[in-house]
Amino acid sequence: MDIGKLSLIELAKAISEQKLTSYEVTKYYIERCQEKSDLNALLEIFDDSLDRASEMDEKIKGGFKGKLAGVPVIIKDNILYKGKKASCSSRFLENYVAQYNSTVVQKMLDEGAIIIARANMDEFAMGSSTENSAYGVTKNALDPSRVPGGSSGGSACAVAAGLAPVALGTDTGGSIRQPCSYNGVVGIKPTYGRVSRYGVVAFASSIEQVGPITKNVKDNAYMLSVLAGGSIHDDTSLKVEVPDYLSYIKGDIKGLKVGVLKEIEEAVKGLEVEKSYKEAVKFLKDNGAEIVEVSIPDFKLTLPCYYIIAPAEATSNLGRFDGVKYSRRSAEAKDVDEIYVKSRSEGFGKEVKRRIMLGNFVLSSGYFDAYYNKAKKLQQKLIAESKKAFENCDVLVLPTTAGEAFKIGAKGGDPVEMYKEDLFTIMANILGTPALSLPFGKGESGLPLGLQIVADRLNEGLIYNVADFIENNGGDYARV
Amino acid sequence: MSKTKISIEEVKRLAGLSALEFSEEELSAFIPEFEAMLELVDEVKNCDTGEAQLNYTTHLLSECREDEAKESFPQEEILLNSPKTKKGSFCVPKMLD
Amino acid sequence: MQEYDIVIGLEVHSELKTNSKVFCSCKNQFGQAPNTNCCPVCVGLPGALPVLNKKAVELVIKAGLTMGCQINDLAVFERKNYFYPDLAKAYQISQLVRPICLGGQIELEDKVVRLNRIHLEEDAGKLVHCSAAIGTLIDYNRGGVPLMELVTEPDISSADEAVEFLTRLRQRLIYAGVAECKMEQGGLRCDVNVSVKKKGSKELGQRTEMKNLNSFKSVYRAINYEANRQIEILENGGTVVQETRKWDDNHSRSVSMRKKETSSDYRYFPDPDMLAVEIPREDVERIRKTLPLMPDQLRKRYVEEYGLSDYESEILTREKALSDYFNEVLSFYNNPKEVTNWILTEILNKVKDLSEEIAISPSDLAKLLKLVEDKKVTRTNAKEMLARIMENGEKLEALEKEYAGSVDGDALRALVETIVKNNPNAVEDYRTSDTPEKVFRWFTGQVMKETRGKANAVKAEEFIRELLK
Repeated sequence: MDIGKLSLIELAKAISEQKLTSYEVTKYYIERCQEKSDLNALLEIFDDSLDRASEMDEKIKGGFKGKLAGVPVIIKDNILYKGKKASCSSRFLENYVAQYNSTVVQKMLDEGAIIIARANMDEFAMGSSTENSAYGVTKNALDPSRVPGGSSGGSACAVAAGLAPVALGTDTGGSIRQPCSYNGVVGIKPTYGRVSRYGVVAFASSIEQVGPITKNVKDNAYMLSVLAGGSIHDDTSLKVEVPDYLSYIKGDIKGLKVGVLKEIEEAVKGLEVEKSYKEAVKFLKDNGAEIVEVSIPDFKLTLPCYYIIAPAEATSNLGRFDGVKYSRRSAEAKDVDEIYVKSRSEGFGKEVKRRIMLGNFVLSSGYFDAYYNKAKKLQQKLIAESKKAFENCDVLVLPTTAGEAFKIGAKGGDPVEMYKEDLFTIMANILGTPALSLPFGKGESGLPLGLQIVADRLNEGLIYNVADFIENNGGDYARV
Repeated sequence: MSKTKISIEEVKRLAGLSALEFSEEELSAFIPEFEAMLELVDEVKNCDTGEAQLNYTTHLLSECREDEAKESFPQEEILLNSPKTKKGSFCVPKMLD
Repeated sequence: MQEYDIVIGLEVHSELKTNSKVFCSCKNQFGQAPNTNCCPVCVGLPGALPVLNKKAVELVIKAGLTMGCQINDLAVFERKNYFYPDLAKAYQISQLVRPICLGGQIELEDKVVRLNRIHLEEDAGKLVHCSAAIGTLIDYNRGGVPLMELVTEPDISSADEAVEFLTRLRQRLIYAGVAECKMEQGGLRCDVNVSVKKKGSKELGQRTEMKNLNSFKSVYRAINYEANRQIEILENGGTVVQETRKWDDNHSRSVSMRKKETSSDYRYFPDPDMLAVEIPREDVERIRKTLPLMPDQLRKRYVEEYGLSDYESEILTREKALSDYFNEVLSFYNNPKEVTNWILTEILNKVKDLSEEIAISPSDLAKLLKLVEDKKVTRTNAKEMLARIMENGEKLEALEKEYAGSVDGDALRALVETIVKNNPNAVEDYRTSDTPEKVFRWFTGQVMKETRGKANAVKAEEFIRELLK
């Protein structure tokens, strides 16, 4: 059996039926990780992985059943796995060793997963290219001169390069979907609260989610069924039953009402993605979907809205990195105030500092109402607009990015240019709705572009059905 | 639309709130970037949110956690990543109280 | 001094009586080894999230109901952001815009003090300042202990009133089972805002704040010191600076904080890790039903139903532990007057303060009083027995054997015969006296003296009457 060609579902099946051992599968992927180290997708390959795989093989022989029994998984470096480092690609947390398991890691371990590595990212998930990592940029899996996107660039690159059948990312403003688009893989940002955030280093608590990155849609649905579910450690996690997402995949989209946003038609004009996006809409129509024009009039404000809410929460969330309790403490610091200022100034990169400063600006007295509260009201207005849109359609389609992956360094100078990378993805975070990106079409250099499917809250199943249909019937468009 | 301006004093105030320090050089690079960011977020400040009200996601009192005490973490695990500990405590240079 | 009014507002923090902390399941427990009641939430580890304790919210509601507060139907939790080593997350979860309780009041002897609000927040860790060589040690065991903050309106106008207010507040919290208010453990702490103004003037003066006073005595002294200091400044033509001052109990003075508060810009915003809490009316009513009688209600009952004096009922209700004790004794021995007398005269002189545990169980005290009523022991002996129980920890059963009726039957009769035979004059007196009972009591006294109180009093009286006939 060619391990590398097996999907996550096939792999899990083969291992559980003992046609493959976890040991040989894990060994295969670890060797891939080592071979492809020049991608800089990974910060660390866990050296106990093979031992764990052997243990798991014994357990499987003993009758252990689990959805991920023996399957290698890679996690983003902001997800805690007890006893392993989790640095968030920051100098500040360079030597931080997780003291407990995040809920998602625990769920995967309970299902028998072998977590083999932690993936590079933009520092504290702030960025869209992994260029903000303190440990060097990750290269695009398809073109090493280009960025892999971000912030989950390491995770998306890892899956695209075949370093693992699945990786976890986190998505605060597009951080799963945009790198998936750039690397030609599938990633979902689930409904806010669908997956517990416990043990995931917080950036913007009210809008971010963990999600799986996979090579195909069914694997993604399979994986989300493992990750989803409420947690007693997370009041914001939704305590609603987790469906078998695979059961939503019917192979048919006849009669499905696909919403096309008026504002997107406008926004894509002249962009690299315009043609593919239009082809996608046409493809859906040709295959029996009903195309409905809907509107979220304030769509364009999702980006500035995000750049108020996310930095505000980040500035507070990152306060705990103060040099007092864990990790970095500046050697220069002589008193407590210096511990704060010097540890943080040495430990955080430029973009993190910028966002902390912006967050403090929008929260500080005199500006709070004009910025933070205004953004929260705008969020309510956007939610109301989206509700209206979803009254007339089942899913929305929109591009994931404006174009294909850009060259490393191309957007170095201008933070706001980089922010605009997330123009199409941020909406789902502001709304709390699920959104998936899958490959559709190619850019000017032949690199993949992404298509986003967005549904109303908790309708991941609908998304998976559409996405799977496109993947299997989209022909060349859907091929990377 | 005129570009949003921010003074160096204001930036220093924000740095104070942020527990960050910037060299003069960093500051001069920082200000134009920050102004560009403010220009972006000013779109929200200047937008019309109509009737929209602040809203909170809620749960019922009865859905909150029951008051049951559980085992805590062992002290050594709590102190695991600490840059400095003494007598089972986190430790910083002596503060004036 | 007479030309000035003092205006005082209080902010009172009380640690709530829960099993677990407010945002995690670690024990809410005092006096453990440092950082042993901690988890990722308490130390602000990356990825940790707060999970709200229902009981903590209910206790604040309960507190509010005892003070006539309005209970908000939606409570929101916010982050108060600032850096300080006792604050693990660099923010404190507190409430600003929508606290659990609004309004309310506490009645003092001569006035009503209005409350502004009561809200729920988390306590901070503890800093121990050691030598320069060791440094400052941080213990997060207290971090996350549920704390209610009560804020008064500036209705208090003297140090005496402030102490009266705090006494009544403390009483209510303890009675309602909301807090234990152990001052020595920091279970009740008080911030005091003081300003002065010309008598009768409408215009408020500039106020100063003194934080974290942890005894009523400190509050009393701090207010008087601070009021005098401000008056002196005004008298000398100066102006009072609005500031936070530190009360130095050792030197009985307030001093300006060496370091000014770097920022009072706390950048409050709703905690995105938390959901706002809906408090339905039914829940409030359910909690209302669990409210025990408050001290003023108990006092009324003692006076009206038990016929106690105002003074007696006031003392009995001053501490919940004592009124609980009293009520329990009554459940075994329903004679409120008698029980009150014993508690007030014999028991309270043996305790250091009213909240102390009483070293005789309510059921034993009830048994002892029953022995007196049944004349199995004399009152004098009962007092002796009580002292031996409370002071030496002796057992009631053993003492009962020693004291009650150990000289009885034939032996007792023989003794009475001897006494009667040896005191012919007294016998004569008894038969001729206008007040034979007095002589009769002399005889019983003789019997008790001879037996050192251990005669069966009922039998002894029986024999005496018989032999004196």
